[in-house]
Amino acid sequence: MEPVKEVAVLLNAMRDSGVVADYALFGAAAQMRYTEPVATLDADVLVAVPAPDRLDVLGPIYEFCRARGYEAEGESVRVGAWPVQFVPVFNQLTRDALAAAETADFDGVPFRIVGPTHLAVIALSAGRAKDSARVLALLESGSVTQEQVAALAAREGLSDAWTRFSLRFLDERD
Amino acid sequence: MNEIERLLERQAVWQQSRRTLSWPEKIRLAERVRPTVEAFRLQREQRRVSCLPGETSAPPAVNRGLGTPRTRMP
Repeated sequence: MEPVKEVAVLLNAMRDSGVVADYALFGAAAQMRYTEPVATLDADVLVAVPAPDRLDVLGPIYEFCRARGYEAEGESVRVGAWPVQFVPVFNQLTRDALAAAETADFDGVPFRIVGPTHLAVIALSAGRAKDSARVLALLESGSVTQEQVAALAAREGLSDAWTRFSLRFLDERD
Repeated sequence: MNEIERLLERQAVWQQSRRTLSWPEKIRLAERVRPTVEAFRLQREQRRVSCLPGETSAPPAVNRGLGTPRTRMP
């Protein structure tokens, strides 16, 4: 089975078994659904877990993977060629991103994935150079508009970050 | 338009044309360039380590999600 399809099958099984309440791919691998391909080494997955207050919040996920032959390596789980990093939702923005995630089709396998506007605003909140590049790529792909990003950023309390981004990258592009 | 501008324009057109590929095909492209990306990152880590005071040719502290834990946003 292709590596990413294997990731999707694993995540769907994890959700069906109740180990996670929901999951959605985000980061560069998700971005590629909307933009041109980008280089990335790992797959980042937002998860909602049934017991978020556990000390080892990712413990059940790692156990589930290990039982199926997928071993933890550092803070990731290796699935074929892909190190998969599980990131529990950690604020309102990521909770909203997961709630609004779309179900994409990856060669016949359903794969939950964060939508473009939330991807852009999560990148905006991280604020590194590569995150700015991600926001620009999503805008230039036409999958989101400046107005959509601005509106979601405002709802998530990130209006200042959007203003800084706009001043730095959008006003000087033309 | 000079030669460099023509080159950049061709590059931009090619890059934008990749957008129309299916998502699985884009993922496969990313998988194909993975060894190159890993090699670049390894070289970068090696340069960073060799620039640290007191470090000369020590093995690089490579961290690509495969070794020691790190804290990062994707």
